[in-house]
Amino acid sequence: MKRTVPAALLVLSLGLTSACSDGGSDAEADSSAKGPITIWLSNNKEELAWGTAMVEAWNSQHADQKVTAQEIPAGKSSEEVIGAAITAGNAPCLIFNTAPAAVPQFQKQGGLVALDDFEGAKGYIDQRTGSAAEQYKSPDGKYYQMPWKANPVMIVYNKAIMQKAGVDSENPPLGTYAEFLDTSRKIKSSGAAQAAIYPSPTSQFFQSWFDFYPLFIAETGGKQLVEDGKAQLNSAEGQRVAEFWKTLYAEGLAPKEQYNGDSFGEGKAAMAIVGPWAIAVYSDTIKWGLKPVPTSAGKPAAETKTFSDAKNAAMYSSCQRRGTAWEVLKFATSQEQDGALLKATGQMPLRTDLTATYADFFTQKPAYRDFADQAGRTVEVPNVPNSITIWQTFRDAYSESVIFGKRPVADAFGDAAQKVDGLAGQR
Amino acid sequence: MSTSTLGTPTPTPGVACAPAARRRPGTLRRMLRTTALVAFALAFLFPFYYMFIGSLQAEPDTSPAGAFPTGGLTLDNYREINTEINLLRSLLNSGIFTGGAILGTVVFGVLAGYALAQLSFRGRGALFGLVLLVQVVPFQLLLIPLYVLIVRGYGLADSYLGMILPFAINTTAVFVFRQFFLQLPADLFAAARVDGASELRILWSVALPLVRPALLTVVLLTFIGPWNEFLWPFLITKQTDMQPLAVSLANYLSNVAARAANPYGAILAGACVLAAPAVALFIAFQKHFTSTNIGSGVKG
Amino acid sequence: MSVRLTRGTHQHPGRRPVTALLGRHPVGLALIAPYAAFIVLVFAYPLGFAVWISFHDYFFAAPGAQVDRPFVGLENYRAVIGDPGVRQAFGNILVFLLINVPLTAVLALTLAVALNRSIRGRTFLRVAYYVPYVTASVAVVGVWLFLFSSDGLVNRVLGPLAPDPSWLVNETLAMPLIAVFVAWKQLGFFILLYLAALQTVPKELYESAAVDGATAWQRFRSVTVPAVRPATTLVVILATITGANLFTEPYLLTGGGGPNGASTSPVLLMYQRGIEQGAPDVAAAIGVLLVVGVVTVSMINRRLLERP
Repeated sequence: MKRTVPAALLVLSLGLTSACSDGGSDAEADSSAKGPITIWLSNNKEELAWGTAMVEAWNSQHADQKVTAQEIPAGKSSEEVIGAAITAGNAPCLIFNTAPAAVPQFQKQGGLVALDDFEGAKGYIDQRTGSAAEQYKSPDGKYYQMPWKANPVMIVYNKAIMQKAGVDSENPPLGTYAEFLDTSRKIKSSGAAQAAIYPSPTSQFFQSWFDFYPLFIAETGGKQLVEDGKAQLNSAEGQRVAEFWKTLYAEGLAPKEQYNGDSFGEGKAAMAIVGPWAIAVYSDTIKWGLKPVPTSAGKPAAETKTFSDAKNAAMYSSCQRRGTAWEVLKFATSQEQDGALLKATGQMPLRTDLTATYADFFTQKPAYRDFADQAGRTVEVPNVPNSITIWQTFRDAYSESVIFGKRPVADAFGDAAQKVDGLAGQR
Repeated sequence: MSTSTLGTPTPTPGVACAPAARRRPGTLRRMLRTTALVAFALAFLFPFYYMFIGSLQAEPDTSPAGAFPTGGLTLDNYREINTEINLLRSLLNSGIFTGGAILGTVVFGVLAGYALAQLSFRGRGALFGLVLLVQVVPFQLLLIPLYVLIVRGYGLADSYLGMILPFAINTTAVFVFRQFFLQLPADLFAAARVDGASELRILWSVALPLVRPALLTVVLLTFIGPWNEFLWPFLITKQTDMQPLAVSLANYLSNVAARAANPYGAILAGACVLAAPAVALFIAFQKHFTSTNIGSGVKG
Repeated sequence: MSVRLTRGTHQHPGRRPVTALLGRHPVGLALIAPYAAFIVLVFAYPLGFAVWISFHDYFFAAPGAQVDRPFVGLENYRAVIGDPGVRQAFGNILVFLLINVPLTAVLALTLAVALNRSIRGRTFLRVAYYVPYVTASVAVVGVWLFLFSSDGLVNRVLGPLAPDPSWLVNETLAMPLIAVFVAWKQLGFFILLYLAALQTVPKELYESAAVDGATAWQRFRSVTVPAVRPATTLVVILATITGANLFTEPYLLTGGGGPNGASTSPVLLMYQRGIEQGAPDVAAAIGVLLVVGVVTVSMINRRLLERP
């Protein structure tokens, strides 16, 4: 008896399992079907304000195809929520907060609709985003995400701290690694700030997007972490970037301990790697300047590429009224709505000729011009299988060799590259 | 600092049974013990105190002196929360969610705990093993299958029931009740059974009154789980007007606070808002633990 | 299966057929039925599913998506056991339990006994010990981060005695610090358990012990400790289980199991592999191993502690 009860439960639950996984299969949805749909927006305040206005504008013109907007968290738990919703089959039609790094996984889950199914979609995307759209294509050559908006990252510095450290605060030497290290040492030794720069040293997979990866992109002239199924991290360039960060950590110019607050905003660190959102956050309290991320030889700003930190819009396979969804997607990424998004959030719509298209905005707010300029030279995370596992594998190797200096970089990166090759090669 | 704070708490009148007459040489020792207890308690309380002070500061001050500010305290961090989220609505949702969870926990827990402790029936061992198993399984393992089951299998998305369901049985509660019923002498029940009372009646009028401290303990202990839970109610509801306080606050923290004038203060203020009802509940109920008469009651 | 039960059934050799079939108190089955039904409705499916997943090449897919999920036998288990990261995580949790569980049990009982006396300001003291338990982890972690950071309050007080590298980035100190943190955070819970248990200890036992001239320590050892033994079993088992399910602290306090994996826990790995990286099969295998381990440890604990 003792053994039979759990065994019976197990059998019962297996029965439930098969019953449940067979149920709920949706009929092939019609790509022209119209009617009311639901969309999810990131719950960050500015984006929500834009989204609500966009939905209102749409609804006022389409009484029979009303859009209902709901919120999902802006932070990292959004991927968990979306993943669970895909599995349960209750994802909305569109999510305007889809991380490119999560797309391969959602696609593998069968959760995404290839936008190429819609007439003229490919042309629309290519025309709006230009050649940068290429990197959002999945390995099968289709778009499972609409490139939407980027937060290209740059180095922001605190002018007051630079001055205190005896560095030219209008044009601090930060172009080459040698200059950057030299300036950092001055900041630290003068006591102007506790840290030169303070990227989060924690082990979450996405942290590398804000320390190693932008510099890697700049150093390689625009390579992704994985290209043609091969890891690029253990190249000469990758090792140079790693050694640069290793020096910062070893000399205490970048602390190894996580900071529970905003190190740059509180003046603990003289520099930070940020996107255009930073302008609204820091402008009231700090006099700041912008520089492109450094490269070993000091490439000019106009040639320096960086990480895009994009969030995209995607259509989910549980959507029945895909005709409406596609029209809404186009409506939300129109020139007018992109302009509204730029104004409301300061984030850069992924479209060509930003500065020319929204010349008024950039004349009024010149602070955003550098970021807009940089937005034309961005690189995305690779769209490869096991994307997040790859980033975690890399982060673990980076943490071990660069942050904590427990192993030579070449060793740790070599091992990681081998694992990444295997992961990227699967299906 | 220990002496100055010592004055603030009011001694409960209910504990007046202190044997003042037995003044033996132990008085000094007792004073020492009390001092040690207070010092320890202050060490426990310090982070909370620090959190509260931090929530009142306009600017984060991380220096040691910042822990004892002399001025510059403000309610701005709280005001900001109040304008961003509908506190009343969130509290109501939290109340429904937590209340439902506690009700289920106590009813199922008492029945199961009593049966496991004082009754012998076929399969009891297996069931106890099962209870243990449920307790042991990490929630992360079940998260997505459970979500699929409740949303797709039972169709309970965007409902209070769907929110409450996984929390309505709490194995910790079963454990607690089982252990307390185990502590009661078996003769007590045997006598009642000889008198011909039904098991439910014995449970209701003999066992339950004796484990009143356990009952309160379970309420206070299980209150915290659903009260602080973020991920589950969030997964289940996408409508903001159904989200409990923990979810609203977490949303607030994850994006609004990062842009607030004092993000650190905003986080701490949010945590204080979340903790306050739980602390209040505890203060309201804590004196019921101390009814020392129960001990002699059992003996009878 | 408790020792008590075995003894109980043996006392009645001449049983009626119903008794033989259902036990001495068949009504027990009725009382436990709602709970059991609940488990079947809410937990059996996900749990059985998780075990099933661990033997397949599995990932979560949208309803209706055509996917291949072959049976792979022990493949996932082999991968998990061969992974040095997983082995490190299990080792970490062992360190955690060895520090956390005894610390919790001893402190909780001592403090509960002290708080059970009629002392001045008892309400204040009880609230003080309860507060960390009710406070959301996010905030408490924030405060600890500040206290134990390199230039935090603790290191400033310690001066030259401060460890280098500092607590949270020190591979030998990170896990013990988490163990202490969890003991501190959960202690209110266990004190409550003990406090409630102490209410059921007959006062006469203490009085007769006092008449016999026993010292306070002797009374504690010979009356209190045996009287609350069931509660101790509970405390040890629950502390073991909460400890084995450690997730929030390495996730928040040491930034995802740092430094360099020294504070990774099995559940953190499950979260990373299963939910973040979309490999629930590997996560389920880790989970099943963890569950088996904890059930074994709990059963041993119960045998050791519940034996009169």
